[in-house]
Amino acid sequence: MSGGGVETAGDLAPEAREGLRRLVIALADAKRLMGLRYSDWLLGAPSIETGIAASSMAQDEWGHARLLYAMLKSFDMDPVRVEHERASDEYCSPDALDRPFGDWADVVAGGVVIDGAISTCLRSFAAGSYEPARSRVPKMLAEEEFHWDMAGAWYHRLANASDEARARLRDSTLEMLPSTLAWMAPDDAAAKVLSDAGLADAPGAIRSSFEAVVGPVVAELEIDLSTAESRSEGWDESRGRGPGGPDDEAIERARGDRNRMLFVE
Amino acid sequence: MHEAVYEVFARKERGEPLRHIGYVDAMDDALARVYAWKTYDEERWFEMCVVPRSSIIPVNRTDGPFAAAALRGGGQ
Repeated sequence: MSGGGVETAGDLAPEAREGLRRLVIALADAKRLMGLRYSDWLLGAPSIETGIAASSMAQDEWGHARLLYAMLKSFDMDPVRVEHERASDEYCSPDALDRPFGDWADVVAGGVVIDGAISTCLRSFAAGSYEPARSRVPKMLAEEEFHWDMAGAWYHRLANASDEARARLRDSTLEMLPSTLAWMAPDDAAAKVLSDAGLADAPGAIRSSFEAVVGPVVAELEIDLSTAESRSEGWDESRGRGPGGPDDEAIERARGDRNRMLFVE
Repeated sequence: MHEAVYEVFARKERGEPLRHIGYVDAMDDALARVYAWKTYDEERWFEMCVVPRSSIIPVNRTDGPFAAAALRGGGQ
């Protein structure tokens, strides 16, 4: 897929540049919201070790978000404004992160489905021709391996636990899948431009990659990813997601509103 | 769900001895790996390993702190 390598977004044609800008913001916002949702489980996780792991994963996600937001400088965007001043309906994060995880089954399903989808996108991005991604994303993916191990191990545990645990995990997974599939592999012009320019895989290839990794995990609950539908009603092509956005509390936390007057950059 | 104790060992440099740095409770080996890496992340470890406490075999005495814990059946 990759050729000579694209050193800066300024080297791209306008359509490809816009598609890349959308991808970078989508990944950065996904990381920020994923971290925020993990952070809720420092307390309340099934064990101290699990809570510590969730907290550490939250820190990883926020670190990744910061690196991805910094890439926006190449698009003549101000990362500080993007991080601290946008409204909910400007966020490009997966729809399934718009609300807090309700229980531990949600966290585990989110780790497999949503974090799995984010990493799938990142792998595609890192394998593309955009040099900043090729150099910065592999370290993120290395850290994500532990997130995946944690989510996969917990998924296996709950899938082989009580009927209630299985049912809750299955419900969470099925609830998250349709919108996350649409976010991860958008069937729209912006995604096609990206793949045509060699900046990321085509949506079909991204979906196949996701199925290869996540499929065997969710198959424990008789969920067949190859037939899972991607939900795209109300699709917002400018953001690469469905309508709406994260809840107000999440946005206030993500932006740091409460202590905004103390902000130092 | 049952949890076992895993001892955590690590070294910062290739030539450094592997040393005991702590323990984690985990339901299985996969989670023990994650918990150890995420709990003892204050250093940039060159190598980290986890060992089920129940797998420790005393050599010279059974009343040492390490061996005694292992002989209690993996408890703390």
